[in-house]
Amino acid sequence: MASVGVNDKSAPIRIEVKDLRKSFGAFAALDGVSFTVQPGELLALLGPSGSGKTTLLRAIAGLSPAEEGTIHFNDEEATTLSLRERRVGFVFQHYALFRHMTVFDNIAFGLRVRPRRERPAESEITQRARRLLEFVQLGGLEKRFPAQLSGGQRQRVALARALAIEPNLLLLDEPFGALDAKVRKELRAWLKDVHRETGLTTLFVTHDQEEALELADRVVIMRNGRIEQIGTPSEVYEEPATHFVCEFLGNVSKFDCTIRDGEAEVAGSLFPVSEDNGLNGPGVAYVRPHEFEIVIDEHGEGLPATVKSVRPFGPTVSVELELAGREGPIEIAVPRELIGLGDVQPHRTVHIRATAARIFAAG
Amino acid sequence: MQFISTSPRLANVSEPLTVRFLLLGLTLVYLLAMLVLPLGVIFVEAFRKGYETYAASLLTDDSIAAIQLTLLVTAIAVPANIIFGLAASWSIAKYQFKGKSFLITLIDLPFSVSPVVAGLIYVLMFGAQGYLGPYLQAHHIQIIFAVPGVVLATIFLTFPFVARQLIPLMQAQGNDDEEAALSLGAGGLRTFFSVTLPNVRWALLYGVLLCNARAMGEFGAVSIVSGHIRGKTNTMPLHVEILYNEYNFVAAFAVASLLAFLALVTLCLKTALEWRYSGELAVSRGH
Amino acid sequence: MSLTEHQRRPWRTPSVLPGFGVTFGFSMFWLGLIVLIPLAGIFTWAASLGFSDFFSILADPRILEALKLSFGGALIGAFVNTLVGPVVAWVLVRYEFYGRGIVDAVIDLPFALPTAVAGLALAALYAPNGWLGAPLADAGIKVIFTPLGVIIALTFIGLPFVVRTLQPVLADLEPEIEEAAATLGATRWQTIRKILLPALLPTLLTGFALAFARAVGEYGSVIFIAGNLPYKSEIAPLLIIIKLEEFNYPAATAIAAIMLVMSFLILLIVNLLQGWARRSTGYAG
Repeated sequence: MASVGVNDKSAPIRIEVKDLRKSFGAFAALDGVSFTVQPGELLALLGPSGSGKTTLLRAIAGLSPAEEGTIHFNDEEATTLSLRERRVGFVFQHYALFRHMTVFDNIAFGLRVRPRRERPAESEITQRARRLLEFVQLGGLEKRFPAQLSGGQRQRVALARALAIEPNLLLLDEPFGALDAKVRKELRAWLKDVHRETGLTTLFVTHDQEEALELADRVVIMRNGRIEQIGTPSEVYEEPATHFVCEFLGNVSKFDCTIRDGEAEVAGSLFPVSEDNGLNGPGVAYVRPHEFEIVIDEHGEGLPATVKSVRPFGPTVSVELELAGREGPIEIAVPRELIGLGDVQPHRTVHIRATAARIFAAG
Repeated sequence: MQFISTSPRLANVSEPLTVRFLLLGLTLVYLLAMLVLPLGVIFVEAFRKGYETYAASLLTDDSIAAIQLTLLVTAIAVPANIIFGLAASWSIAKYQFKGKSFLITLIDLPFSVSPVVAGLIYVLMFGAQGYLGPYLQAHHIQIIFAVPGVVLATIFLTFPFVARQLIPLMQAQGNDDEEAALSLGAGGLRTFFSVTLPNVRWALLYGVLLCNARAMGEFGAVSIVSGHIRGKTNTMPLHVEILYNEYNFVAAFAVASLLAFLALVTLCLKTALEWRYSGELAVSRGH
Repeated sequence: MSLTEHQRRPWRTPSVLPGFGVTFGFSMFWLGLIVLIPLAGIFTWAASLGFSDFFSILADPRILEALKLSFGGALIGAFVNTLVGPVVAWVLVRYEFYGRGIVDAVIDLPFALPTAVAGLALAALYAPNGWLGAPLADAGIKVIFTPLGVIIALTFIGLPFVVRTLQPVLADLEPEIEEAAATLGATRWQTIRKILLPALLPTLLTGFALAFARAVGEYGSVIFIAGNLPYKSEIAPLLIIIKLEEFNYPAATAIAAIMLVMSFLILLIVNLLQGWARRSTGYAG
């Protein structure tokens, strides 16, 4: 950290959010949200639009305070602090750069507006801004105006500007939302580096599950102002806590099933059902594309299915199938070798079987 | 304390409540002194000697003649500008040609000319020593110090009102509707009256409203070309000046109150149009 | 080949819509008849005077004083409005309070009120026994028949130009800009001074220019409150009328021509400033 000279402050802070509530009219944007962010953690707030993730981020920043609940930075109550005292590095979705200032002046702004006795000397400000420019790989562009930069470059300036105030924590609202696909990928890797080098406790909001799972140490999945699940990317992916998490994280096929004596049959296989879903009753099962296998033997087990289309791109082959008695096609991913056999072709009937499933009581 | 709030989005970065109260208070006091009091004083002065004196001073022959002339001038100037505005906006907005923005600037020109200068140019043209003066005199045609001069000056100063409302709106609406109507077999005039005109009717009304208010209230230019002949070339604003200069204050304010009332009605209609058709009018007003 | 193509490129792009010839022809005819030819007349008149005549007319101290008052008063009025207008626009755009719609409509009063009526009202209001004139007189300030009265009238008519120009721009500013400044530790005052004012500068200049242009040529709302004392409270447009009444066309024309030229020069300077402000602030005006 100190070697980069970007964040010379002491250890990163822990954030503790307790029972946060906020409503806009009758709509509850935050409906009792509690969680803890560990020092130095990179946390993603993931959810569909209207789930309350941006409201939560803005509440932590102090931009729109919650009506109830507390936020602690380490052991300090943050809800009573002013924006200036919170020292939060906030990166806005559309960057909110000051258009009439050069890149350099944008970055130096946070230092220049400090009260005189806290303000660093102009030479030190210059030095710090230069260092930050190098850090975000924009050295030499300090005299440009924001309008003369690309989207990705603006994003970097916004981050450098936020880092200049030596923030306690870093908050990013949809950091890649306004960028095209290629730049998004580049900046994603870069943000990971930035986080590693600054060591700051960092929260970012996204509606893109791939982004959240790839970048974050832990993911907070939100819906209707509540937290559905908190966990590492593999936890939320492999062991989703609710229907919603299951459906929201990636591609799944949904099956209706019946739970009988703690077991349920899904797509030709029998699976145990965890006890908290009850021993008997209607259930819902979710199967991901790679959790199917194709049984080539015509008289074998499994469900008969008709191949609709085959998309042989990438390491696995994506096959779209129609099942008798089920509305809408399902998508499965199978190893490439299978195609070579020539059995998986449009209009042919194959048999499929699920190798794994997540089953919940219905309703 | 709900009396004054900011938009919820900016609540947390806005000014402290005391500053907000201060700014609002200053604004209200300033607007009251600068804008509302002048309006109020007109009506108070007009009715200072009671309703009967007010009515009597409006019902003199000269006042009635002034009202009639104002109505006549407006009845000529407004339709003239509607016809020009429609023709100009149709030819400018619906076709592509070079020099268009320059042409729009020329149409806007009368807005940046002093009313007095506007009057002067007609005197230089048609006055006794003007370019056409000798010819007009030889043929006993009087324009300056007569009604035609008043009409001309009024048309000049209200020239851009209708056109500048319609041009940006027609440009924004494009030609699709007209082309559709033509392809369905409608003729040019039919297309204009049943497609184009309904599309711009509220903007047209808005322009006519402003044009009308200005036409009835025009003073500087009319003052030069009219010659202030009582009962003949005196419009209402000119009549106000004459009465004032004769120290007939109640009558001056009585006639002024009619014009002020007209301004209030215009403001109300204008505000109503803006609320009701804000989207349509925003195109023109953002101009 | 490409050259001939270029030369043949028509002045007007062909269109299926009928009626261009008639409407365009009529518009040009009417524009020429009502606006262009009469306006051109003023310059041919002025040109026929010759330089020495022209400047000897303008050297008349009475005319010089009137021009000074018209331009000085217009500049001061526009300046006052450039100070007050942003506050009014800010309150109307940013604050929600009862009666905001009415207050917003009131801004247009100077547009809607006939100038003679406004002038009459201002004269009555600031007369020594008027609602505002009496307290001001007690304080030893005389408004009516002084340059101060002229300035007040020119401020009155200029206000809506500044407010109406600013309002849409203020409403369109992204709130995130102000939030960003706040998270970076700026106080509200610092945000206004360093972020909002530079963003509004080009628009403020536009409002200034519009208010000024209107005020220079203003006649009706000024003459009643001004009292029109030569060398003291006589404005240039009034002097044009006086010269015309004396059938002194050359003097009237010279004053009008110099007013047009000076207005044009000042607006040109404002335009250049605006271009500079827009370039250096990145904000459109």
